[in-house]
Amino acid sequence: MRWMRTETFAAWAFMAPGLLIVAVFVLWPIIYGIPLSLTDYSVIGETHYVGFENYVTAVQDKSFLTSLWNSLVYVLIVPFIQIFSILMAILVNTRLPLIKAFRAAYYIPVVTSMVAVALMWSWLFSNNGVVNYILLQLGIIQEQVGWLSSSSTALYALMFITMWKGLGYYMVLYLAGLQGIPSELYEAAMIDGASRWQVILRITVPLLRPHILFCTLISLMGAIRVFDEMFVLTQGGPGNATLTSSLYIYQKGLEQFNFGYASALGLIVSVIVGALSIFVFRLNRRGGVSY
Amino acid sequence: MARRVRKVIRYTFTYILLLLLALLMTGPFLWLLSVSLMPGRNVFSNPPAIWPTFIDFGNYVQVWSYMNFPKYIMNTLIITVLGVVFNIVLSCMTAYPLALFRFKGRDMVFALLITTMIIPSSTAMIVHYLTIQWLNLGNSYLGVVLPAAVSVFNIFLMRQTFQGIPSEIRDSGKMDGASELRIWWQLVLPLVKPGIAVIMLLEVMAFWNNFLWPIVVLDDPEKYPLASALTYLNGQFSYNFGWIAAGTIISVIPIILVFLFTQRYYMEGLAGAVKG
Repeated sequence: MRWMRTETFAAWAFMAPGLLIVAVFVLWPIIYGIPLSLTDYSVIGETHYVGFENYVTAVQDKSFLTSLWNSLVYVLIVPFIQIFSILMAILVNTRLPLIKAFRAAYYIPVVTSMVAVALMWSWLFSNNGVVNYILLQLGIIQEQVGWLSSSSTALYALMFITMWKGLGYYMVLYLAGLQGIPSELYEAAMIDGASRWQVILRITVPLLRPHILFCTLISLMGAIRVFDEMFVLTQGGPGNATLTSSLYIYQKGLEQFNFGYASALGLIVSVIVGALSIFVFRLNRRGGVSY
Repeated sequence: MARRVRKVIRYTFTYILLLLLALLMTGPFLWLLSVSLMPGRNVFSNPPAIWPTFIDFGNYVQVWSYMNFPKYIMNTLIITVLGVVFNIVLSCMTAYPLALFRFKGRDMVFALLITTMIIPSSTAMIVHYLTIQWLNLGNSYLGVVLPAAVSVFNIFLMRQTFQGIPSEIRDSGKMDGASELRIWWQLVLPLVKPGIAVIMLLEVMAFWNNFLWPIVVLDDPEKYPLASALTYLNGQFSYNFGWIAAGTIISVIPIILVFLFTQRYYMEGLAGAVKG
């Protein structure tokens, strides 16, 4: 029984419960998804091995291709979130009185549930809603726009909601980055007579690079996986205008219980996401400044 | 003088920007609060009702008696407490040896964990559903919580925290003949309280707001947490705007309060997590 007192035994004993959960709920879905995608497994009927049939169906499935395309369009939101969050972080990176109250206010959308946020914006975006009212008063639009009910604007309205909810989160991450930049750098730039924008573009942004990479990757994943907004507000409509790949996988898997097909779709999306993140990683590794 | 004037102008400009942004980020909540206090008024009137012309808690009283909020709040609390406790205990246990022990396979385990963070898993929810059914945990709170009972991110975070602890602490415990479990519980854990607080806050927010997985797992709407119940209410009463507005306000107040009281730790912890 002496081995029970070894450090190795203690280590594994400590890790066992956590690793078991990770194995079952993180590793297993990745492993099991592959064989599942080669079957026609569903709740009813027998399960057969169908080879690559699900994949062949997928590349011909118009709704799936539309959902993939919508997901890719949704990625357009990522650079906007980064730019606005960095600007917000710069704005609140001061020691003015009340600044902490402002930071907290900007963070409130992050902590509230997407259900509450989505419901709120659905009324704000409605035909007789506040958004139309304000835009009409300001003369920006000439007539009411059905932001969520028109297929040309619905996806962009949802993107706005996602961005609005996420801004505060990235602001805090960038704020942490800003506070890590040595103040001597700014002082040196001031002495050299650099303008505010020069300082931002030449010092702040390059030194935030690791944070930008991190935030871009997180929001990229988020944009590809986006689900809650569509689930609460549009269910993919009008038509297939806001059908994203996660929503489609959910519909095929957990509404129609077509587990085999949904797994195949999931794997296709996973491969695309993996490739995209590697691409972003590579893109960011070129150049860079250290301090 | 000119410098002083310029400074005042810059401050004024900054505060105007800050206020405009605050209006954009909190305005929708204030508007929702405003209309939830005006029963009988049609929100979709033209021009839309923006300011409260009178204050009446009718919507709150009605939706409270219709929806059995205490029950939903209780459900949410059970799910949140279960989820938070699982996450704290499991990530503290798993990360501890990874940070402070020397054993064969340590680096391999850690590398494997990090890899699972990078691999995207869109199919996860479907396999989770099958696993929960297979474990016979459908329609149970354990089934709601288990798939998120520990996250690799939290393990990573706690490992960073444990690494800041000098190894002499463990050695001294061993000299005194304490068991590994006792060293962990009595000597090490008290030193990582800030790390635990961060996990706690992050997970409170996550579990409190989770609505989709509870809908998938729980067959019985009586067992729904607040956020799921809200989608349910919206599906049934989308015409009764005042009720849903009041229900939404009731559901967001607790989490906003938790955030406001803990925001310092929360924001610092979040920022620290990225640096780590």
